[in-house]
Amino acid sequence: MSLTSNPPSSGGALSSASQSRQTLKRSVQQAFDDPVERGAGPIGYQSKVRVVDRYKVIGFISSGTYGRVYKAVGRHGQPGEFAIKKFKPDKEGEQIQYTGISQSAIREMALCSELSHMNVIRLCEIILEDKCIFMVFEYAEHDLLQIIHHHTQPTRHPIPPATVKSIMFQLLNGCQYLHANWVLHRDLKPANIMVTSGGEVKVGDLGLARLFNKPLHSLYSGDKVVVTIWYRAPELLLGSRHYTPAIDTWAIGCIFAELLSLRPIFKGEEAKMDSKKTVPFQRNQMQKIVEIMGLPRKETWPHLVNMPEYNQLQTLSASSHSKNGGSNLEKWYFSTINSHSATSMPTSNASLGAEGYKLLSGLLEYDPEKRLTAQAALQHPFFSTGDKVSANCFEGMKMEYPHRRVSQDDNDIRTGSLPGTKRSGLPDDSRPMKRMKE
Amino acid sequence: MAANYWESSQRRRWQFTREGLEDLRKKLEDEDPNLVQGYPLPQLRHLSIYFNQQVARLGKRLGVRQQAMATAQLYIRRFYTKVEIRRTNPYLVLATAVYLACKMEECPHHIRLVVSEGRTLWPDFFSNDTSKLGECEFFLISEMSSQMIVHHPYRTLTSLQGTFSLTQEESNLAWSIINDHYMTDLPLLFAPHIIALMAILLALVLRPNQTGVQSAGNAAGGLASAAHAALSSAGSLKSSNPDKANGSSRTKVQRLASWLAESNIDIEAIVDCTQEIISFYEVQEQYNEKLTREQINRFVKARSLDK
Repeated sequence: MSLTSNPPSSGGALSSASQSRQTLKRSVQQAFDDPVERGAGPIGYQSKVRVVDRYKVIGFISSGTYGRVYKAVGRHGQPGEFAIKKFKPDKEGEQIQYTGISQSAIREMALCSELSHMNVIRLCEIILEDKCIFMVFEYAEHDLLQIIHHHTQPTRHPIPPATVKSIMFQLLNGCQYLHANWVLHRDLKPANIMVTSGGEVKVGDLGLARLFNKPLHSLYSGDKVVVTIWYRAPELLLGSRHYTPAIDTWAIGCIFAELLSLRPIFKGEEAKMDSKKTVPFQRNQMQKIVEIMGLPRKETWPHLVNMPEYNQLQTLSASSHSKNGGSNLEKWYFSTINSHSATSMPTSNASLGAEGYKLLSGLLEYDPEKRLTAQAALQHPFFSTGDKVSANCFEGMKMEYPHRRVSQDDNDIRTGSLPGTKRSGLPDDSRPMKRMKE
Repeated sequence: MAANYWESSQRRRWQFTREGLEDLRKKLEDEDPNLVQGYPLPQLRHLSIYFNQQVARLGKRLGVRQQAMATAQLYIRRFYTKVEIRRTNPYLVLATAVYLACKMEECPHHIRLVVSEGRTLWPDFFSNDTSKLGECEFFLISEMSSQMIVHHPYRTLTSLQGTFSLTQEESNLAWSIINDHYMTDLPLLFAPHIIALMAILLALVLRPNQTGVQSAGNAAGGLASAAHAALSSAGSLKSSNPDKANGSSRTKVQRLASWLAESNIDIEAIVDCTQEIISFYEVQEQYNEKLTREQINRFVKARSLDK
């Protein structure tokens, strides 16, 4: 074996020397160096800790392209609950082989090991065992997708304004931390924003995150298309190859709108790649944006004309409601926040007022250079006027959101026998797929 | 943190004192004294020169950028603070470090390509089996606690180029001194900006002495003597008396001196760093590649670590 040594198989001074030491106290390292202690078979890498020894899996949460997520509790008094993300080996079911870890898993492992912020999901440890990677995160009871969904049942009732405000502040705060550390998230969407039962918002799933401080070649060249299409920034839709922090703040603008209206603001249909694997222009998604925001104009977005898909814009039509192709966002915002005020609903978002509109329009600014940065958004009067921002987004709420659904179908984290089982009960399943193979 | 060295795992977990580093290595050797005695090895700096050469050979075949090779060398150095070298196949470890570093530095290569190039370079010591390298990747990452983001001095050098009006030549020299420091323990002992300042200082002091310019690695003699001048210069910086100027590089040294005096940078550390690299350049002159290779190959073969 390559990494660790066999004791020499045939006699010799070394062999007897190593046997005489058998009685000595062994380090863990030595323990897995020794084939006798590990039983038969070739020796190789073996984890010093075993995931099943450290954690008791209490249910299955979800699965995705990367693998599966399980809910677990510690066996050694580790406080709290955990979400263990297991990266699936390349060929599930067959004899598993070491094939090299994917670059995106490497990025997520490396980034999560460095980051530490109250609004970014916390990594507890990574266990590399039996050719699998287990990333152990703090557990969050809720996510924004769940919370938004809950407010559509049985009838639509708005998320309370104080909750919206707190969620937005915490989300921007986590995002600002990432950007200050040269990390782009690249896949912000409600399902990836976790909320603990204490009302702390945590940016999660850094599976597509990347450092942008030293782009060796254009960030575009690695993975083809990034960010779930409904939250994808217009510059990406228009073919920009340069990711900037502004793509994350556009997504946050979309999330803000969704917290208010309880539906994705730009719910386009993804154009699939054709057989030649060229990336198509996402006409439908761009059309949805134009319907509310009006057509982007080179007068207010100077680099617009340099966008690879600029010519496609001509084929889109501004909404018939918009005057001269201008923006309908203001109208959209006020009709949304006031929509429940006339009814008997106790809560209305009307109190979010004009500052809410200004923040929204700053985040949904077409020109990425003029778009609000996370840092600037945190300074926005929206947060300093009206109700005080609470660090607990559930503060003052009487109801409690339903807990995350955890299934008992697949509790065996070590084998994970049922590939491809999607999380059930939530509309996320129907959302467009966003990842393309690197 | 990814961009902030002060909160990085590099500073928190992978920066040691000399004594701390010595203890770690002593502990590894003490775990199995017979192994250590049975397979004597050249001093660590000579091993590091050998690894550096092998990483460079592999990197050249793969077309890997310098920064990725620097990352790979740092991974190797970290790994061997935790694992006794005689328990490993160094050729596999360094190829794995290059493979992993390329992914981290956003210039990935397919595992099959890395394995086939490794096989070409070290046919007697390298398995054709890609799963061996994949397994070693688990070992490497696990020993590094998944802390794979590293901070290099190159960035500080680039950002200070203008501040000290470095010529292309001076800058190249500083760059190659940084390349060389990966063959020492310096990256485990000092912050990257300290290393960068040491390299700039040395480059400025060496600059008038043309012998050192061409290749810092090969002109060790010239470097060593000129570096003593750097040391005394650094000493005078410390006592903030840097006004023995003659020539433009001297003026630049002066500028660096006053810049340092106004900063909170630990000048002692730069002096320390300078001494370490000079002593490395002296040790480098005694390097015997053949002997080093034979001693490594001996334990790999005898212990069947290449299987």
